[in-house]
Amino acid sequence: MLFRKMYRDIWSNKGSYLACLVLVVLGLTTYTSFSISSDNLELSKEIFYREQNFADGFAELTAMPYRDAEGLAQIEGIDQVSGRVTREVRVLYPESDIGIYLKFVSLELDNPDRVNDARLLEGNELRQGEFEVWVDNQFYDVHGLELGYVLEILAGEKAREITVEGYAMSPEFTYPLRTEAEIYPNPEQFGIAFTSRETMWNFFPDLQGRVNNLAFTLEEGTDFDEVKDRLEPELEAYGLINLYSRDNQTSHLILSEEIAQLQRMAFAVPLMFLVIAALILYIMLKRLVEQQRGQIGILKAFGYSNREIMLHYLTYSITVGFIGGLLGGTAGIYLSRPLNWLLLEFFHVPEIDVDFSLYYFVLGVLISLGIFLAAGYQGCKYALKLKPAEAMRPPAPVSGRKTVLEKIRLFSSMLTIQGKMAVRNLARNRSRTAFLFIGVTLSCAVVVVTWSLNDLVDKLVFYRFEEVEVYHARVNFTEPVSRQPVERELAEHAEVTGVEPLAEVPVRLSHAWREESVVLLGILKDSSMYIIRDAAGRRIEPSEQGIILSERLAEKLSVEEGTSLKLASPYLRDNEDEQTVEVYRVIPQYLGMNAYMEITGVEAILQQGKFATSFMVNVGDERINPGNAEDYWDTNDFREKDLVRANIAGLRDYYRESDLVAGVDGTEEQIRETRELMETFGMVIYLYVLIGVVIAFSIIYSSSFIILSERNRELASMKVLGMTSREVFSVITFEQWFISFFAVLAGLPLAQAMMEGFSRELSTDLYTIPAELSAQALLMGALITAISIWIAQRFALRKVERLDLVEVLKTRE
Amino acid sequence: MGSELIEACNIKKRYQMGEVTVHALRGVDFTLYDGELVVILGHSGSGKSTLVNIVGGMDQASEGELYFRDRPLHNASENELTAYRRSEVGFIFQFYNLMPNLTAYENVHLAVQIATDPLDVDPLLEQVGLIDRKEHFPSQLSGGEQQRVAIARALAKNPRLLLCDEPTGSLDLPAGKQILKLLRDFCSHYNKAVVIITHNTNISYMADRVIHLKDGLVEGVKENSEPLSPEKVSW
Repeated sequence: MLFRKMYRDIWSNKGSYLACLVLVVLGLTTYTSFSISSDNLELSKEIFYREQNFADGFAELTAMPYRDAEGLAQIEGIDQVSGRVTREVRVLYPESDIGIYLKFVSLELDNPDRVNDARLLEGNELRQGEFEVWVDNQFYDVHGLELGYVLEILAGEKAREITVEGYAMSPEFTYPLRTEAEIYPNPEQFGIAFTSRETMWNFFPDLQGRVNNLAFTLEEGTDFDEVKDRLEPELEAYGLINLYSRDNQTSHLILSEEIAQLQRMAFAVPLMFLVIAALILYIMLKRLVEQQRGQIGILKAFGYSNREIMLHYLTYSITVGFIGGLLGGTAGIYLSRPLNWLLLEFFHVPEIDVDFSLYYFVLGVLISLGIFLAAGYQGCKYALKLKPAEAMRPPAPVSGRKTVLEKIRLFSSMLTIQGKMAVRNLARNRSRTAFLFIGVTLSCAVVVVTWSLNDLVDKLVFYRFEEVEVYHARVNFTEPVSRQPVERELAEHAEVTGVEPLAEVPVRLSHAWREESVVLLGILKDSSMYIIRDAAGRRIEPSEQGIILSERLAEKLSVEEGTSLKLASPYLRDNEDEQTVEVYRVIPQYLGMNAYMEITGVEAILQQGKFATSFMVNVGDERINPGNAEDYWDTNDFREKDLVRANIAGLRDYYRESDLVAGVDGTEEQIRETRELMETFGMVIYLYVLIGVVIAFSIIYSSSFIILSERNRELASMKVLGMTSREVFSVITFEQWFISFFAVLAGLPLAQAMMEGFSRELSTDLYTIPAELSAQALLMGALITAISIWIAQRFALRKVERLDLVEVLKTRE
Repeated sequence: MGSELIEACNIKKRYQMGEVTVHALRGVDFTLYDGELVVILGHSGSGKSTLVNIVGGMDQASEGELYFRDRPLHNASENELTAYRRSEVGFIFQFYNLMPNLTAYENVHLAVQIATDPLDVDPLLEQVGLIDRKEHFPSQLSGGEQQRVAIARALAKNPRLLLCDEPTGSLDLPAGKQILKLLRDFCSHYNKAVVIITHNTNISYMADRVIHLKDGLVEGVKENSEPLSPEKVSW
């Protein structure tokens, strides 16, 4: 019978219980799906690493005889070594107008137990020395390749034809990025290709019998740093560019970070939802028990024990927790699959189907039940204290009191009578006011942070094109070229309106025991195409003597402006030598981690004469300044855009057969490609905004209903006085807007704190997330929160309209 | 006798209570005039509260016609009824129904805010004898005092009609008498109509007219040629 009572009680207040339930379902859906997905991804990663014998360390070199590389296995602590030949080549698709590149990596076909083995997903085994290749599965899919397709590539001075024998994936390239300046893999333009060592030697005669990359595994229980100390001297002679552990390997780093992030989200997001739902339920139950004190008295008078009564009220919260748990868990299991697919879109990891679902399902339901039991107990423990006779008497009348705020004359005189009622109610129900405040604060902060992150990702990606690298295209060379003749040659093209050289030099910078391998960029002093900027966006001229470092790099090396650094590079005339340079400036850099110098300064250090590794060119009408690329590319001057496109295509055509030109990259294509890739992420942003809306909505909705049920008498009296439903409701809305105003204000510092947390958590060597809130985000946060509040209030207003005056006023409180 | 204020013709009211239809009013006719004090007398269930709720615009009749100074109320919209309550009617209930977190003064002022032609708050509180306690909250006032605030609140709007549903039902005799005196004074001084609903026959002796209600019908109307002064009423 009591069950029926519960059912009817819940039904009569179904809106608020539903809001609670929605929060629980959302929370558990996130919990289950994120947990399953992160576990799946983690396990896939582990199995994949083990089965493909993923390396513990990597080295990039200028060149080293293959035999010497094999000998490195003798070094204490090293288990297996694989000497590899890697080179990036351009793919010559006749129909494509963008630069497409494949990074070729040699496989040791003669070693069945090879390090960093690629897993063939479909196709035929490769043969030593044959012009056969496996490409990575994403590249294969995106380009619609088929087995037996003949790719034309530009490798080592010639156009070559190579047959696609299969598609594969490798633990080394679970998240293949072409350069450090990218955040998303872009299989449209970049992929990985695996072929035999002999084939690579055939393609690149300059590396005949030699390797330029090492992957090695360590013996069980060996520390990478110890091995590094032993290995480094051995490799110096071969032009060591970079020696790093698995922990610093790009794909591994990003994949591990993603898994960790999923795990954090699987914990934090559901917790937020469940806590808010539990708070709502706690307040509702507390109210219900107060309202039903007469009924409780009668039940007690009948002889119902405290435990039975407690159990009765606990079933309210258990029901919500249990139904929410079941629904959320089930939804989570179903959602984990598409979430997995989405993750596998970005991470090239084999899909495995492990059934974690039941575990997380049961755990989710238990967590939900636990939280709701606690909330329910807190909410209804008051019922236990009541003595039957006392319970059947009405509660002591509500006492009114002026608030401290009203002692402020100015404030008090500004308030209408309704305003005074609202302020006093807020002061009276402090716990509920706190709940309202916390909820709205949280909701606003979630929206602001999400929106800011969205803006920031934009900034991260486009800042580079808008403010730093402002040119139409970049002509890349396969090896350093003599600066002046090439610059002259490029300038001679009729369509080229500006040329500037760029020298990209791998360097190892060290300060005390700290050491980082990065790319040093040599730029013209008065460059108009590559503009280095300080935090305030002001232009900084590169220096000939001093080196400019990105903030993160300076931090990692623990240096500041004026500190002297040691610089080593395989490009140094004597590559065992070390040079000393002084830090000239430290600048913010969102993507990647670089060092900068004036190009002549770089040349002076390397003592290799004047050289460049690529050239930036402008190919449009000189009168248009591409200085602001965003504006420029958004311009509607289609004629100009078409001209630039046509000119880039012309340049590309011209150098199609050149062995020296690795490719011509158009800036606009890169912007467009990036933009397309980022659209997927837009979805995630909307999801978070929805979370903010749901929180604000359910809190305002349930708080309105609690106020309505608690004060229906007051509200009805006002209606009888002749106030319209809206006027009556304005007392409630005044309360809510009043507290929401301060809550939104408080949401901003909270958002700032959350953003700083995100910045710390998410910033890696690959990208830096500045802890900045955008003005637009602040505005959107406040606006979206306000709209959710407004909508929730419309629902509650209907209840005021339907308030039964006669019924309410005739009964004794 | 003043001019005609309310005219009710054949008012019927039915409620659906689950599967049972309750006939609260079965066809009530009556007229109310400016400046008269009317007591509607009846046992519980006789339909007296239902009638007052309908007359006060809190509820609508299922059948019949109701006019306020020739203005039809039986087919008025929700907004029209609100406007009617706002400007023409004052209510007083057995349980006062004051706003617990507003002071006596503020409770009265709440009504002043929405009225078109309100009376001043302080003289009203003076009149009900609570000017010294105007900064007190309802929880700091006795039942009689609370009811006096409720009366001041109802009068503040300067309504033409004051409807009182068992106004002395929760009060002791002296406090009750004070309330009745206030109602009588209002009626006489301002020439307004006052309707008191009660099951207490003794109160009916102070009325100008007494309408007896039984089982949803008017059983009889009695005019008191010499109504008793409220001080002399006793129960």
